[in-house]
Amino acid sequence: MTIHLESVNVRLGDVDVLREVSMELDVRTVAVIGENGSGKSTFARLLGGLVKRTSGSVSVLGVDPDRQAAELRRRVAVVFSNPDAQIIMPTVAEDVAFSLRSEKLARAERDDRVEAALARFGLSELATRSSHDLSGGQKQLLALCGAFVRRPELVIADEPTAYLDARNARRVADHLFEETGHRLVLVTHDLALAARCDAAVLFAAGRFTSVGDPASVIAEYEALLRC
Amino acid sequence: MLTLYRPGTGWLHRMPAGPKTVMLLALTLGVFLLPPVWWSAGVAAAASVVAYAAAQLHDGALGMRDLGRQLFALRWILLVMLVSQLLFLGPEPAVANATRVTSGLLLAALLTLTTPTTALLEAVERGLGPLRYVRIDPQRIALLLTITLGTVPVLARIATDVRAAQKARGARANLRTFVVPFLVISLKHADELGEALASRGVR
Repeated sequence: MTIHLESVNVRLGDVDVLREVSMELDVRTVAVIGENGSGKSTFARLLGGLVKRTSGSVSVLGVDPDRQAAELRRRVAVVFSNPDAQIIMPTVAEDVAFSLRSEKLARAERDDRVEAALARFGLSELATRSSHDLSGGQKQLLALCGAFVRRPELVIADEPTAYLDARNARRVADHLFEETGHRLVLVTHDLALAARCDAAVLFAAGRFTSVGDPASVIAEYEALLRC
Repeated sequence: MLTLYRPGTGWLHRMPAGPKTVMLLALTLGVFLLPPVWWSAGVAAAASVVAYAAAQLHDGALGMRDLGRQLFALRWILLVMLVSQLLFLGPEPAVANATRVTSGLLLAALLTLTTPTTALLEAVERGLGPLRYVRIDPQRIALLLTITLGTVPVLARIATDVRAAQKARGARANLRTFVVPFLVISLKHADELGEALASRGVR
């Protein structure tokens, strides 16, 4: 089972952000949709081990994010909407290499993996460029490259196309959906993107309201928006 | 500062980061320790010129184009230092001090010009290795240095965005109305950066 949640509650400050969420997901790609403040991002952060649950149990790829954080980091990558906050190192190639620091690889192997990842994301020519001087689209591709270079089993992407124009959004989405053996949890407001997933999950006011075929979940969400 | 690195094949580029850091540090220290007299200014200036010329930077002007660029970047620091010391200390110490400090910064810039940040960080980690015996993680210190330097352009961009937003709403320049949004956005950035670090395996 990829994701298993049982009666999960998350309270941040005085607010119950997630309430009694239970679900089982075992698909390659799943979209998480819902209005702003519905708990989607908290759900993504919970799966990525970036937010601790208040109660309940969580299992991601058979790993408990709270108790086996190091194991989770090794197998799961998270991509956020704001690319600026994901850049750590001053040049493009160094930023990608940063993701491999914890793997203690030999320099030659590390360089090979960085080179291959840069080529895959079309960033080879920008390898020595200052990462902070890239365009928004290039920065998000760099963030994806930094995530994928670790060969994660699961990628959690929280509105990764939110700041991008149509062309860059499509490029980022194509990379996310590319079949490279990873699974994908995609938090998005873009319903066309959600429709490309194998399943969709709908959140409303901190509660998980439905899961299933993207077309029916999107229809349910649209009906909710008309109310 | 860290983004100044330019790939090259000269001997300084090829030199391992650790010995290079020690060499340039010793040279910089030597320049700083010169007495505040006229001849020191000449020695300090000559040290920078010789170092850039010998570094094989391949800028088409025997290192002088790169030296000029660095000097231009330091112009305001140099001016403030020179004017304030001229007023309080007189011409000889003012010129000697300003030249020594500028020369020291120029020599330090040679390190970042010829060393990739990753190599520099690995050298810092190796150099701080003995700190492990007192339970201080050198990797963490190296990371802290990188993030601190890498955050400078981000904060500059946030400041520009906040000023632009104020102008767009017809507000005049005002410290209080600038500081509040600047701090809020900067702290949000710090939160996001922390999450990004955690998600990339940094504990």
